[in-house]
Amino acid sequence: MIEIAALTLKELVRRRFVAGAFVATAALVALTGWGFFYLNHLHEARGRPVTHLEVLTMTSVLLILIAYLFSFLLAMAAVFIAAPTLSNDIETGVLLPVLARPLSRGAILAGKGVALAIVIAAYAILTGACEFAIVNAATGYVPPAPAASLAYLALSGIVMTAFALLLSTRMSALGASIVAVVAFIIVRLGGIAQNVGMYYDNETVRHAGTLTQLLLPSDAMWQSALFRLEPAGMVAAMSDAHVWPGPFFTTAPPPPAMLVWTCAWIVAVALLAARSFALRDL
Amino acid sequence: MQTDCANVVDVEHLAKQFGHVVALVDLTLHVRKGEIFGFLGPNGAGKTTSVKLLAGLARPSAGSGTLLGYPLGDRRARRRLGYLPELFRYHDWLTAREVLALHARLIGERVHVRDLDAALQTVGLRARAGDRVGTFSKGMQQRLGLAVALLGNPELVILDEPTSALDPAGRLEVREILRGLRDRGVSVFLNSHLLTEVEKVCDRIAIVTRGRVVAQGTIPEIAGASAGVRVRVRENGTPLTQALAEYGPYTRDGEHIFAPEVHADRIPALVAALVAAGAQVYAVEPASTTLEERFLQLTQERGA
Repeated sequence: MIEIAALTLKELVRRRFVAGAFVATAALVALTGWGFFYLNHLHEARGRPVTHLEVLTMTSVLLILIAYLFSFLLAMAAVFIAAPTLSNDIETGVLLPVLARPLSRGAILAGKGVALAIVIAAYAILTGACEFAIVNAATGYVPPAPAASLAYLALSGIVMTAFALLLSTRMSALGASIVAVVAFIIVRLGGIAQNVGMYYDNETVRHAGTLTQLLLPSDAMWQSALFRLEPAGMVAAMSDAHVWPGPFFTTAPPPPAMLVWTCAWIVAVALLAARSFALRDL
Repeated sequence: MQTDCANVVDVEHLAKQFGHVVALVDLTLHVRKGEIFGFLGPNGAGKTTSVKLLAGLARPSAGSGTLLGYPLGDRRARRRLGYLPELFRYHDWLTAREVLALHARLIGERVHVRDLDAALQTVGLRARAGDRVGTFSKGMQQRLGLAVALLGNPELVILDEPTSALDPAGRLEVREILRGLRDRGVSVFLNSHLLTEVEKVCDRIAIVTRGRVVAQGTIPEIAGASAGVRVRVRENGTPLTQALAEYGPYTRDGEHIFAPEVHADRIPALVAALVAAGAQVYAVEPASTTLEERFLQLTQERGA
């Protein structure tokens, strides 16, 4: 398993995935950093002064928006790296001589899965930490629970990695990618439906949303990360006003049990993927 | 489990179905230790499916068997197995040496760089050891595949069309490598549709068509006994009728004589009789049913 994990990591480096992601993400972080720096130096607008509190509030909202977009980027990165890693190797025949060696298919899958999970989690945490750092340097703002938020974000990426790997044991890279992306979007919409259901006290809609989150907990992990980016005052204000927080905010994060469910889900999907791969004729 | 049995492959009535497609109906094979076993068949006969069943890459729908004394698919057998797939592709972002090092680690062997280079030398790739596989031609990748298959002193090497991308010189080299393996007691399972290649190196063969083994044995056993002799002669004034009289019926076309009832062990006597009669003998060719003729006969009988 360690050999395969090391091989997978080496492939990501040699094929310049890591370098490409680093350069693209550095550009993204630098650009947003410049924006926050500019915002912080905005002392007057529309003929009235811009207070520091106003800048901090705006920063917190914009940071959530950036995190929202980044959660999409992370999911796509997880899918587009994980889906081909197995199916391409099967289709091209690269895996045949490896499978004829005395190691189980489960070990091959575990090696690839662990390496990809490490890369995706590291990408989420490093990018997020850089973004938080640059925002702090530019405006002095720190989100309420940055570490927990990044951990949940990383978990959402690992969920998508595991899901794409499962699909790739039976589908082509393209097929697995399409299914995983569509499922991700359905579940993201399910999360929004859940919030709408809660706002209107509609149990059917709420349960439908919850069901999608249980089936693919990527959105549950996103909502958990999101809640830890929201300033307490903002959450309290929204709760008191009884307004729908919209798709970019949440006033009721998933319960702690969802974290346990997600971890169990990842293990179950990994086992299912190993079983599926073991039974596949090549 | 047994490890020193006489047969390295023993399979009985293996069958394989992919959905509604029947790829293999009845594969019964016995490959002996230390022999080069040729596995022949026309396109779509089920050869590669059979190889994949042996290598544990697919599971049989019916039947059973052992590889190196272990049930098919057992990982312990794969520790002593070398395999070159028909679809040979290796990680194109690794160098040739790195590919070998990877496979050495996968079989748990501690192999020194010089051993890896020696393996590459065997297949003529020593000079390209540090180059990425992505820069290799198809033939070079097949050579690399052969080096990978030979890594770790396997007891059985399964080669699926190992010379399909090689030039004539490369094919000759592979034949030499195969003979070298046999000399070291390594068994070779050679899947090929190149009859000449199989004829030149294999001790025994099996012919498979439409998913069934239709013949198994040595090449003479399968191709049949001698079927006469062809001689090219030039007379020196004396008619050869008398000299040929005791060798049965014959046909003549100019300098070419074909005597269909002359067995191989009577050919020297026939040549001596012709020379004694004053003829100049330019060529003597024992005629027999060729493997190609027998192959076509067997595969077409089944195909009809």
